[in-house]
Amino acid sequence: MTLIHEKIERDKNAKMIARDVSVYYGSKKAIDEVSIDISPNYVTAFIGPSGCGKSTFLRCFNRMNDTIPVAKVTGHIELEGEDIHSDAMDVVQLRARVGMVFQKPNPFPKSIYDNIAYGPKIHGLGEKKADLDVIVERSLTRAGLWEEVKDRLEDSGTALSGGQQQRLCIARAIAVDPEVILMDEPASALDPIATAKIEELIDELSGRYAIVIVTHSMQQAARVSQRTAFFHLGKMVEYGPTSDIFTNPIEERTKDYITGRYG
Amino acid sequence: MSPIVLILIAIGLGVAGWLAGRAKAWSFQTGGDSQRPVARPTYHAWYVAVWILIPVLAFVVMWSFVAPQLVTQSVLASPAAANLPAFGFERESWLSEARAVANGSAPGVFNDGAEGLIEPFREAQGRYSIVGYVLTVLIAFAGGAFAYMRVGPRFQARTKVERTVMVILLLASLVAILTTFGIFASLVFETVRFFSMVSPVDFLFGTFWGPDPMSNPNNPDGSRYGAIPLFWGTIFIGAIIAMIVAIPLGLMSAIYLTQYADPKLRTWIKPALEILAGVPTVVYGYFAALTVAPAIRDAAVAVGFDSASTESALAAGVVMGVMIIPFVSSMADDSIAAVPSAMRDGSYAMGATKSETIRKVLFPAALPGIVAGVMLAVSRAIGETMIVVMAASTAANLSANPLERMTTVTVQIVKMLTGEGSFDHPATLSAFALGFVLFLVTLALNFIALRVVKRFREAYE
Repeated sequence: MTLIHEKIERDKNAKMIARDVSVYYGSKKAIDEVSIDISPNYVTAFIGPSGCGKSTFLRCFNRMNDTIPVAKVTGHIELEGEDIHSDAMDVVQLRARVGMVFQKPNPFPKSIYDNIAYGPKIHGLGEKKADLDVIVERSLTRAGLWEEVKDRLEDSGTALSGGQQQRLCIARAIAVDPEVILMDEPASALDPIATAKIEELIDELSGRYAIVIVTHSMQQAARVSQRTAFFHLGKMVEYGPTSDIFTNPIEERTKDYITGRYG
Repeated sequence: MSPIVLILIAIGLGVAGWLAGRAKAWSFQTGGDSQRPVARPTYHAWYVAVWILIPVLAFVVMWSFVAPQLVTQSVLASPAAANLPAFGFERESWLSEARAVANGSAPGVFNDGAEGLIEPFREAQGRYSIVGYVLTVLIAFAGGAFAYMRVGPRFQARTKVERTVMVILLLASLVAILTTFGIFASLVFETVRFFSMVSPVDFLFGTFWGPDPMSNPNNPDGSRYGAIPLFWGTIFIGAIIAMIVAIPLGLMSAIYLTQYADPKLRTWIKPALEILAGVPTVVYGYFAALTVAPAIRDAAVAVGFDSASTESALAAGVVMGVMIIPFVSSMADDSIAAVPSAMRDGSYAMGATKSETIRKVLFPAALPGIVAGVMLAVSRAIGETMIVVMAASTAANLSANPLERMTTVTVQIVKMLTGEGSFDHPATLSAFALGFVLFLVTLALNFIALRVVKRFREAYE
């Protein structure tokens, strides 16, 4: 059962497409046959009440559910026409192309420099120190952190403030030059000022990367995204242009959620 | 009069006080007082019971030291004591014989002269036991009455009982700490005696170890008390050979168990590994002496080391390393498991493989805990006795060849204490000096390890 909003035609150059994806935790079905197209040009927001499966669904796109022994994913997901579950697709390569930022900032207990250089090093993007220097500066600049940390790149990443740590994690994800960035409630652990900076950053990055963001804040979805999918009880209820979802939803449940009747 | 009876009386009175306190508390609990009482009746009951039991127990402990002396004094004051020998061993034995007969623990006296003292002893013991009972009951009633008077609706019995619990727990933990100090003090005492005979410089920096327990104790030869070969043997066997075995195997098993093993397999392998820690060290000793040492000797001879000994440092060190594996593994396991899973996910999400994640993220983050575990393991290895007593030699050798005979501090402590020298001979006393050094070294290692663990814990909180 697929409820694609009629105002969105099938995106021919979709970056990622998911078809009939279900996720089981043991015998519990967390996601029930969801299909969606992720456009390269937009920020896509997944909204819905807690426990609706939006984070679980997000983790399907870079196969992070593989790390959970009891989780089982069925259905079909493509990145640029390639099946991400096929034998030809190396999960390590997939994750280099589909980066992820987590709910709680999780910089490694290494220096700021090494946090950024970690990905490029393991993927062989910068063999020489000079190459890495360029990548580190570029990534931090794009994440809007360069000016704040350029004089203390050798300090531990964990010594930064929460908002800076989260931008460091975004810089870390950018450093391997991904095509898609998945963000799992990236601002939920931050104060309003840091949140505003992250939202600004998402806006700046949106032209360059396909961004999918899970958020429980409807205001945030309205501010940063161009496409919104509403999830409820493991199903995708409605998907469409953000402005339509918020002002003129088709489904009754979406309207109830948006207007705060539940969730 | 026996302390057991006094304690039983105290417990009986304590129960009575408990019931009385509760009864009084119930009366105001149900008495229609408009305000709620601040403590439930049980707390008032415990408060009264504590005020009976603790003074009485303190008195019983004190009385059991004081009473025998009072009895003896009163016997000495009696006319029958006039026949006692003036002093010395004979006088003491007459008194103790008479006391034993009076207690009923001996059938009769050996010295006839003690016969006359039995009756005064009986009489004095009877008198003081009555005094003891009376004082016990008085103290119990005084304490109980004091507490009972205070019981009331506004009385904070709950906080008082809470404080008593805290004090009891504090005393319990003090016992362990005071014991450590006691051990330390007795070591220091004997060590000082040793160093008054042998210079600390000879002991700490000399390179020849060969104390002769039969030599003249008043004029020890300081050059035979050089402990450097022992320290070297201890470090070589316990901190070098054993760790070369234990660190890689322990770490690899910890990494396998935390990162690769199926949870079902883990529930089997982890306890199996921990059984290793439960094997008595003497059993490891057999294994080292009967199986590993000959095998190592044969292997060494086969490749051309004809001088290889059956009591090689290698055999003792390898078996000790095996014994230490569970320590290293379980500390490493804990600290790897303590690395937040967000770190691991972060690394996977960057496209790192499992082994890259372990090497570059988990291992560095867990390193302080692993280092602390290794230090605790080293301090255990250098203090380990049975394996080396059975498998290592007693020959003090300063050598870097693991196939040679070597001895350790603990082996020499055993040898010196069980040797034929008299107790105040410097050769025997050297065991205490060795023990003292060992104590300081393991204490320092444990201290550093705990500091490292503490800093590591703060890092993620």
